Amino acid sequence: MTNSVAERLEQVSAEFAECEPRERLELLLEYAENLPPLPPEYQAERDAGLNRVHECQTPVFLWVDLVGDRVRIVADVAPEAPTVKGFVGVLVETFNGAPAEEVLGVEPNLVQKFGLLEALGMMRLRGLSAIASVIRRRVQKAVAGNSN
Amino acid sequence: MAKYAHPEVLVSTDWVDQHKQDSSVRIVESDEDLLLYQQGHVPGAVKIDWQNDLQDQLVRDYIDKDRFAELCASKGISNDTTVVFYGDKNNWWATYALWVFKLYGHEKCLIMNGGRKRWELDGRAWDRGAEPQYPRANYVAKEPDLSIRAFRDEVFKHQKQGKPLVDVRSPGEYTGELLHMPDYPQEGALRGGHIPGAANVPWSRAVNDDGTFKSAKELEALYVKDCGLSRRTPVVAYCRIGERSSHTWFVLKYLLGFPKVKNYDGSWTEWGNLVGMPIAKGVDPRPAGQGTSKSTDQAKTAADSTSAANAS
Repeated sequence: MTNSVAERLEQVSAEFAECEPRERLELLLEYAENLPPLPPEYQAERDAGLNRVHECQTPVFLWVDLVGDRVRIVADVAPEAPTVKGFVGVLVETFNGAPAEEVLGVEPNLVQKFGLLEALGMMRLRGLSAIASVIRRRVQKAVAGNSN
Repeated sequence: MAKYAHPEVLVSTDWVDQHKQDSSVRIVESDEDLLLYQQGHVPGAVKIDWQNDLQDQLVRDYIDKDRFAELCASKGISNDTTVVFYGDKNNWWATYALWVFKLYGHEKCLIMNGGRKRWELDGRAWDRGAEPQYPRANYVAKEPDLSIRAFRDEVFKHQKQGKPLVDVRSPGEYTGELLHMPDYPQEGALRGGHIPGAANVPWSRAVNDDGTFKSAKELEALYVKDCGLSRRTPVVAYCRIGERSSHTWFVLKYLLGFPKVKNYDGSWTEWGNLVGMPIAKGVDPRPAGQGTSKSTDQAKTAADSTSAANAS
């Protein structure tokens, strides 16, 4: 994982761009299935409702912190929401272990990069953008916390 | 009421399992999450997506009659096919699709009670294969049936006359505390709150934990006793974009047998963005259907209300 976040995002968006809309859904489903299960030490917090992304109707839980200057994201998404899970899978795969400044340097509308608009429709994309914004804000907060 | 008014509109997962191969039946999955169908669907089911299939991609409206006919024909649905809808989120999108089919006059529309959830709880098999292709059918769509669809002018008139409205959104959306994100204007409206006089019955209160509809007696208590709705008065249901309210529309029309129920699909994203419309915030103490337009809550016109949208 020596590539920068920007390069990894390029790779993922190229991967999506090469697909037909239907195949894009299959690809997203693969990312959903590859999202690691929530480690046991986080489960109690999730069950207590902590770290839930309240902007999403779907239960989405995100733990974002820094290990040194590297971003660590742990996520849990309900299995009945594979679209959200797939998108979170993309973000976790792309951002995990990357320097915080690279994650913060990502353009905010990265959802559009994946060409998911025609496959998913506008309304669904908005929910996904929300998740990307939440990750961004939590990384910002972690960086601010470190410098205090 | 001991029984549903039209129990024939609901079929069980068992019934669907037994009719998977029935050529007079077409099973249609309609979901919020578009990947669920790929992840596994009822064997033989086709997919109809509310955004990509049922809505016009340019104008905020449904597909027109000709495109509806083309959609049905392409899915092997003819005018006399029995269409059974099911989906995720307690059949939220299934009832939405059913409503659009009713709009274009499709007669035999059923709901698989409990939707995906019940099928999963039953431990029935999911098919992970591609969407089945059925031989093309002939379909002639009717003109839209506007007795089930309300537009803003008539909702405005309905509201001014003090007739009953049901706001089926969550309590937070109803009272106007916005669920609005810092960098991100949700599928939002510029103003928060509800149509003055509307009662708040969140749509999901009509379902059990296993995704099936509550009993006739429980629904009667919820909508008639607690909320004061009456079968004698026309009712308008709305939410944010008209999806959740199609679920309540289904409950009122088919399970409780209300003769006149309309879904206002413009809903809050239209009303809360229009200049000068009356808006109420907070909890409305007046139950719907009481026939008075005098509201005791903080009703204001949009023009003079404070900026609720910046609440977060």
